[in-house]
Amino acid sequence: MQEHNISENNFEQCLKCTICNSVCPMMAANPSYPGPKQAGPDGERYRIKDPRFFDLTLKYCLNCKRCEVACPSGVKVGDIIQIARLKYARQNHPLRDMALASTDLAGTLACKAAPGINGLVNSKPVRNILNAVGIDQRRAIPEYASETFVQWYEAHREEQAAYDRQLNYFHGCYANYNCPQLAKDLVAVMNACGYGVKLLEGERCCGVALISNGFGKQARKQARANIAAFDASEGPILTTSSTCTFTIRDEYSQVLGLDMHGNSERIEMAVKWLYSAVDQGTVKLAFKDGFKARMAYHTACHMSKLGWAVYSIGLLRMIPGLDLVVLDQECCGMAGTFGFKKENYNLSQKIGSKLFGSISTVAPDAVVTDCETCKWQIEQGTGLETLNPISVLARAIDVEKTKKLNNA
Amino acid sequence: MRCDVVIIGGGLAGLTAALELQRAGRRCVVVAGGMSLHETPRAAFIAAGGVFLRGDFVKRGEWKGSRLLRVWTRNLGSEPIEAKDFILATGRFFSKGLASTMDEIYEPIFGCDVRYDKDRSAWVNTDFFGPQPFEEFGVETDGCGHAMIHGVAAENLYAAGEILCDRKDIEQSALAVCRNII
Repeated sequence: MQEHNISENNFEQCLKCTICNSVCPMMAANPSYPGPKQAGPDGERYRIKDPRFFDLTLKYCLNCKRCEVACPSGVKVGDIIQIARLKYARQNHPLRDMALASTDLAGTLACKAAPGINGLVNSKPVRNILNAVGIDQRRAIPEYASETFVQWYEAHREEQAAYDRQLNYFHGCYANYNCPQLAKDLVAVMNACGYGVKLLEGERCCGVALISNGFGKQARKQARANIAAFDASEGPILTTSSTCTFTIRDEYSQVLGLDMHGNSERIEMAVKWLYSAVDQGTVKLAFKDGFKARMAYHTACHMSKLGWAVYSIGLLRMIPGLDLVVLDQECCGMAGTFGFKKENYNLSQKIGSKLFGSISTVAPDAVVTDCETCKWQIEQGTGLETLNPISVLARAIDVEKTKKLNNA
Repeated sequence: MRCDVVIIGGGLAGLTAALELQRAGRRCVVVAGGMSLHETPRAAFIAAGGVFLRGDFVKRGEWKGSRLLRVWTRNLGSEPIEAKDFILATGRFFSKGLASTMDEIYEPIFGCDVRYDKDRSAWVNTDFFGPQPFEEFGVETDGCGHAMIHGVAAENLYAAGEILCDRKDIEQSALAVCRNII
């Protein structure tokens, strides 16, 4: 912003207009949260003078970044709060929080024990134990797949390598452990467009849950491993999770203080890449005649922060049989691991209730969103199937016709 | 990305124009980086199929003579938005529609002509609660709402709302631009 700024997050630019408070989902639901203005730029002035001014209520920040999207002055309100938490907060539930944040470890173990583990973790005795350690018993635990996407990919590596044109894919934990179908859908769509899909060597969890649970050291370690994996690859790196994308593109440098080695621009949502390719005429899509559905699109907060919901909506609107209703942007209240915690469950549902209400007014067959934790929250809150836009495309495109159009 | 009209600014002027044009069958994209508080017209615009880019800023445009071809935004990066018409409704100093140094007032995106007193001491009235001369400063337009750049009216870039000089009515100036586009 201005040349005389001394902070990296523009906190000097805050004019106290409080528009950030007006869009904060937590402030509306929880009067004990001081709101982004006080937790962010206002509190920062005091914390710089004396760390004892750190306020424990900052743990309520969902890191949804709606404050940053709304700020007309470019103040990185959410970053200020995240950095303060990493710097000053002490954990009250270090074991539970580490367990929730260790997505790679949990995923690897749970997938080995799947599908049996899915029934087991949702059984009453196990739920009682989880509840006792601080994971709310009312929260549905996501299912784990018995075959991870990476295992599936190994069996298909050669056929993917046979394509002349290649795209990198950062699948993230959800598409690997919980929903390999999403990653397979991406492969199917890209193959139909004439592209093979390549995985990064040594991809790790993006680390978003480590950051939000205050494990800065571990988050930096994972981030460095991912940056090395990006360095070892070439060309665009596609993603299907808005949160992984936003974490890598923005939080690695702005919150963790790491050098991205110029890789930030290479990370893009697959929907962005595909929309642009169709727009420029380098890729053509053909759709099935019989596809018919009414769906509601929910803009995940991090998708809003990226500014790329327009690409998901644009692609979905290309599907002739799809009646798409775009919902006004609301926070679903899940915020990654936040909504799993016993002390947050009620708040999480209270924040989500507005979104659940607008979805039920639309009465869709399914909901579409780019975020996996929004999906969990919406499925639990509305009972409706919730899909990633790539999965909707995979269902709607006519693979053979699309292949022909792209000479694949 | 292509559309009929890009509206830069998601405040009252931008949304008034966007809603009017979208309802008249024009495909509109609103780039709303500054203050955007008006939830009802925004929801109506989105419901009418409009594209609302919240928290995004136009960085620059490409011109062919006095015709604006496309604009690039912060979030869309290397992908420009092409349109037939553009409306500049970025507001005043707070929303960064206008910017100032100690001795100059300018329009930061396209460098539109801004009318202001060259005598710096005449910008403010020392009576704090009195009328302030700087409130009259703003972007100059021709009779049809086209923004002036270096004394020439832009062919397809209009200005509306608070950014204008002489404190014109926000909604009326936006609707006047719409009438020229339709």
